[in-house]
Amino acid sequence: MKIRFSLLVLCSFFVLACSNKSMVRYEELSKPLQKEGFSGAIHKVQEKKDDLYGDNTKFLYHFDLATLYHYNGDFKKSADEFEKAKQVYEDLYTKSVTNEAASVVTNDNVRPYRARPFEVLAIYEMNIVNYLAMKDIDGALVESRAADIALQALYQKDNKKTNDAGYLRYLIALVYEMEGERDNAAIAYYKTAKAYDEEGTKLPAEAQAFIVNTLEKEGRSDDVKNLKLPNSNVSMALPNAAEAAQGEIVMIGYAGHSAILGEWMLSGTYVRGGILNVMGKNPQTGRVQSLTIPFPATALGSHGGTTVSVTIAVPERKDVPYRVDNFEILVDEKRHAVRPEVYLDNTEHLKKNLEDERATTLGRTAVRVLTRTIAAQQAKKAMETNNIFLNLLTSIGTDVAAGQLEQADLRVALFLPHVVRVARVPAQPGAHTVKVLATDRNGSAVKSYTYTVNVKAGGKAVVVVPAIQ
Amino acid sequence: MSKILRLFVLMAAMAALVACSSGGKKVTRIESDSVTDLSGKWNDTDSRLVAEEMIQDCIARPWYNKLLNTKNGELPTVVIGSVRNKSHEHINVETFIKDMERALINSGKVDFVANAEERGELRAELASQSGNATEETRKEAGQEIGADLMLTGSLNSIVDQEGGEQVVFYQIDLQLVDIQTHKTVWIGDKKIKKYMSRSSVKM
Repeated sequence: MKIRFSLLVLCSFFVLACSNKSMVRYEELSKPLQKEGFSGAIHKVQEKKDDLYGDNTKFLYHFDLATLYHYNGDFKKSADEFEKAKQVYEDLYTKSVTNEAASVVTNDNVRPYRARPFEVLAIYEMNIVNYLAMKDIDGALVESRAADIALQALYQKDNKKTNDAGYLRYLIALVYEMEGERDNAAIAYYKTAKAYDEEGTKLPAEAQAFIVNTLEKEGRSDDVKNLKLPNSNVSMALPNAAEAAQGEIVMIGYAGHSAILGEWMLSGTYVRGGILNVMGKNPQTGRVQSLTIPFPATALGSHGGTTVSVTIAVPERKDVPYRVDNFEILVDEKRHAVRPEVYLDNTEHLKKNLEDERATTLGRTAVRVLTRTIAAQQAKKAMETNNIFLNLLTSIGTDVAAGQLEQADLRVALFLPHVVRVARVPAQPGAHTVKVLATDRNGSAVKSYTYTVNVKAGGKAVVVVPAIQ
Repeated sequence: MSKILRLFVLMAAMAALVACSSGGKKVTRIESDSVTDLSGKWNDTDSRLVAEEMIQDCIARPWYNKLLNTKNGELPTVVIGSVRNKSHEHINVETFIKDMERALINSGKVDFVANAEERGELRAELASQSGNATEETRKEAGQEIGADLMLTGSLNSIVDQEGGEQVVFYQIDLQLVDIQTHKTVWIGDKKIKKYMSRSSVKM
């Protein structure tokens, strides 16, 4: 009787305690974002902090808030929130044994969210831009140095799943160039080209021109020969024009909304011989797919040979609607429109992260679900009485409770752009009007932005275009 | 009860323990000059100790007596210029500058004038007085004391890390330059090395 009571209490506790906040977070926040813009979304995130994020997702609370502040032009507040996100990430270096154990019986959502590698890098990418937008070069330099340390730490933590970050390296090179540290800028440019190659992403032609130009001028021709540069016959006209103009306008445009995570429910059986076969409709592709996970019988002790029906939930990429794909930039309405290239694709990073994590996630999920399912069967047996009706109720209750516990960890940054596009436009010192037209995939106008920027002699003025619609 | 069921109940209990644990906040007042190291980052203790040690070193060096003789015993006047943060942390350089200003004034060995930003504010006030204050209380323009020396510097850092271990090396460089001749009269540095370790697991 005591066992029955404790199990009932525990089941009710889990059903109540483990509602998946990730399932509703995007739905709750996308509405104010569409209707009231970034300010509305910021207000909603702060208002619903506990309901939508909670204690285990502090990192994402600060990260999402920082991202929204960044888009809203509140660069100081954004930098402050990114600092808090960094602190949470550092504090979570130490893993709690009890949290890990808890996740085995419930789901991964009970563990504190530790950030995906591309989110850690995004902190520095956006924060460097924050400081550049505030014209605080010292602050941007601090972020650049901290980014280098963070990259090293990521490599040391999991070098198989971490690539160098081309866009981040490129931003660091820009900061060093703005500071007049040409040697450091050249090193960062060199690392940029290497990083794009390592990432398997094509180095933008514009970036290649600036990289080659700087390395050649700094006496590093041998470095240029060592690089695998993807664009042939890149003209040096742009870097030369920037030098002649004694200034640049750097447009950093956030186009579209990065994919988030959806839940992929798979059902099947754990069959004799230690194989778990599950199938289900992939929410991203819409196709029914099956997965076979080798699962040693010994992992479940004496119950290894039994056949049990299971349902597992794993995270899968979920695209969200957005309109903006590219930009057209006009400076002082005198020149031809510049169309910036893609420097960073966050959706690709999410896809890669999911692929990297797939085996681990499936392994953890399989262990959890099978352990729980067999434990539930044992519990049913232990609670069996002579009353058929009561037995039926107990059985249904146990199955419902076990089913409720199975939730995929869908936590991911909600407001990252689909792609980051960058363009460097030579500009003479003085005030300039920059008109940016955000366009969709067909080149049709979605929204226009106008900025007045002041370029200092030998300097770079940064324009941030937050078109994540 | 089978082993699996027992294990499940045990782990579920642990999960409940985790879910129900609530952090309590406790606030204790401590002396402002007490040494505290929580995160291992540059903190108020570093700022205060570095400022005091470096200023003491600065005014104890031979340039001081030489300048005192040149000025017939009149105290040299110092202004603090820029101190640049070239480290990997966002350090509030303002508090470090204020710590140095305090150490300089409290030494009683130099006179000290407002920095460029403060001077701008003072000049605006002076301009405002000229049209608004009474003649008896109005302060005259052009009566500022020009500084003899300017103190500038930078804060650098090097980080070495592996797993849960990290060594951070801070180097603070200061220099005192004669404003008239641009001659550097003193260069000082202070090095701080911090070792930090974190465990990868906890209960």
